[in-house]
Amino acid sequence: MRTGGYAAIRDYAAIGDGRAVALVAADGAIDWLCTPDLDSPSVFAALLDADRGGSFELCPTEPFRVERRYLPGTNILETTFHTDGGAVRVVDAMTLAGPGLSPFRELARRIEGLAGHVSLRWHIEPRFGYAGATTRIERRLGIPVASSGASALAVQCWNADESVAGQGAIGGSIDLSAGESALIALSIAHQEPLVFSSREQVEERIEASARAWAEWSSGRNYDGPWADAVIRSALALKLLVHAPSGAVAAAATTSLPEDVGGERNWDYRFCWVRDSAFTLGAFLGLGCAADARAYFWWLMQASQLTHPRLHVLYRLDGGARAPERTLPLSGYRDSRPVRIGNGAATQLQLDTYGELLQTAWLYAGSGQRIDDDIARRLAEMADLVCRIWRDPDAGIWEVRSEPRHFTQSKMMCWVALDRALDLARRGLIPDRHAQRWAREAQSIQEFVETRCFSGQKRSYTRAAESEELDASLLLGVLLSYGDPGSDRWAGTIEAVRRELGNGPLVRRYTGDDGLAGPEGAFLTCSFWLAEALARSGRVEYAARLMDQLVALGNDVGLYAEEIEPASGAFLGNFPQGLSHLALINAALAIAEATRQ
Amino acid sequence: MSIWGAIAGGFAGTLVLTTALRAGNELNLTRMDLPFLLGTAFTSDRTRAKALGYVLHFLVGLGFALVYYAVFLAIGSSGWWLGAIFGLVHGLFSGTALVDTLLPLIHPRMGTRSTAAPSVALLEPPGFLMRNYGAQTPLVSLAAHIAYGTLVGGFVSLAG
Repeated sequence: MRTGGYAAIRDYAAIGDGRAVALVAADGAIDWLCTPDLDSPSVFAALLDADRGGSFELCPTEPFRVERRYLPGTNILETTFHTDGGAVRVVDAMTLAGPGLSPFRELARRIEGLAGHVSLRWHIEPRFGYAGATTRIERRLGIPVASSGASALAVQCWNADESVAGQGAIGGSIDLSAGESALIALSIAHQEPLVFSSREQVEERIEASARAWAEWSSGRNYDGPWADAVIRSALALKLLVHAPSGAVAAAATTSLPEDVGGERNWDYRFCWVRDSAFTLGAFLGLGCAADARAYFWWLMQASQLTHPRLHVLYRLDGGARAPERTLPLSGYRDSRPVRIGNGAATQLQLDTYGELLQTAWLYAGSGQRIDDDIARRLAEMADLVCRIWRDPDAGIWEVRSEPRHFTQSKMMCWVALDRALDLARRGLIPDRHAQRWAREAQSIQEFVETRCFSGQKRSYTRAAESEELDASLLLGVLLSYGDPGSDRWAGTIEAVRRELGNGPLVRRYTGDDGLAGPEGAFLTCSFWLAEALARSGRVEYAARLMDQLVALGNDVGLYAEEIEPASGAFLGNFPQGLSHLALINAALAIAEATRQ
Repeated sequence: MSIWGAIAGGFAGTLVLTTALRAGNELNLTRMDLPFLLGTAFTSDRTRAKALGYVLHFLVGLGFALVYYAVFLAIGSSGWWLGAIFGLVHGLFSGTALVDTLLPLIHPRMGTRSTAAPSVALLEPPGFLMRNYGAQTPLVSLAAHIAYGTLVGGFVSLAG
């Protein structure tokens, strides 16, 4: 099941508590956990260095077969191991704090004997600070505790043998017959003393967490097609929401490769402005008004630091600095460098202005109030777009080659001014410069229509005076640049499908991006194609494509950033928020188009 | 020497001590959180515990300043350096007898050396010089307490 110590990315499931996310492999190992928050340094990072990264292994001692699922409507994972001797079920949860004194963070693993007799081994190697910090293991009140600096982790277990092994590890064995159960709980502390719990308290928190997740998902008002995939995507998205602020991380990991063995490895544990319109659209479409409000306010709060300019991404705490550096880890299947931070943060990406104005437009359209200060800032952003839309930029895909006049960037500048004009017409933002916005929007449209369309391909192109293609052009359909039923859009959708498509999958673009090596098909673009088809009237085709894409999720319904078309292997960071957002929005659009 | 100087010094000293301990947290040097430890003696609600703990910590800080003042009066001398020495002794006392030995005995949610499998949630005990909360904890704690003592001693002498 593993190659060189690494599980396939497709084999992971995610559990979390609104602050931290752990990735659990199909063989029971937890190979990724950052605490106290998902953008903090890791304590388990075997995902990025199988030898040194640290992990929490738990599996039968004899050969086994695995079945997995999430408990219905929850982010609590259930893994059932079948062996020749019997079967056991492992319930994995990052528990939510309840009444009473509970740990700062808690990862609980309950093991239940289902049939026959099964022996399991468990082995924990905590490696704080991306495996770079010294980890000390001692006992407190008889409980093994691993600590480093201001972080610590206690390992409490019940009905399981336990010992502190050499090399900074804690482990033991579990023997279960049908009807018996064991429990292992990691109590995690950061900048405070550890909290040790009783077994009953941990069990109660697992049950309470299951109830809380089920209650949240039962409140989602979606009854269209692919409902299971949509709700699972909403739950995956909720795992990426940083509960204290409402920010949404793009993914829970860093440096899972877009090309195994290559250099396309990025830290996605930040909130991208690019994703904002999709995020708000999905929240509103699924009836998550509170999440939508929190997200919008966080976005406007964070972007205040750089106003009127937007950074490409912001930290989950709202900070604007995300300096990129590399870690001395071997990387997922030797995919180096392993990066933390993201150098794209300070790129110029003109599309972000369109996506932010679209976000504000959606927010206002849902009946929410935009206060005077934010209204003024939105108008000032529209003014800025008028000044900078003629500049070349790095584009939505944040290429590391020379800036260009990317067509999608220009289209999103048009979207920014179009939405600003609409907000101004409705008296929601100041309209002093509305005439200028209208003039510049017209100029942008002329630029796109005359310099960014290929008569030969009958398609908009990736950049001005180019014959390259880019699937992000589909966002023009999704965000209403022009008439989605026009010949130009029909030609573009067809060209994207023809030249970037591979079965149901779609690659991002043709042409150079300043990096070596290939990449897989980009799942988000595949869902965008489905949504574009639905919005341009080809609903049945869109639904067929959606059927195929929904089937490409892993066994628990999660998606990475990309898929290798030939093998179906997942590539890139995981779980990927944008893939799940695109799934939700495509399903909503197809359901809406079907109703009409 | 004036009691008002002691109260002012106690206020300023506790402010500096609390800030220094918090900075120690942020610098990854220690997991010691005195307001959390104090507050959880009265409530199991994390938020309330921290808020209550800060209030209690300030009151305890003022109380210790008055003890310093009484000793300054008894020996007829005060000053920055004497305050710093008091702070050092205070820090050692806190890390050994007060927090390591006495607090676990009276804290309803803290384990002691004799505690085994817990039946209710228990806080990790601090250990000698509070080293359970990180190897650098004694240094952070002593530096913070010396700063506290220096301010109390200095304010008392200035107010005289």
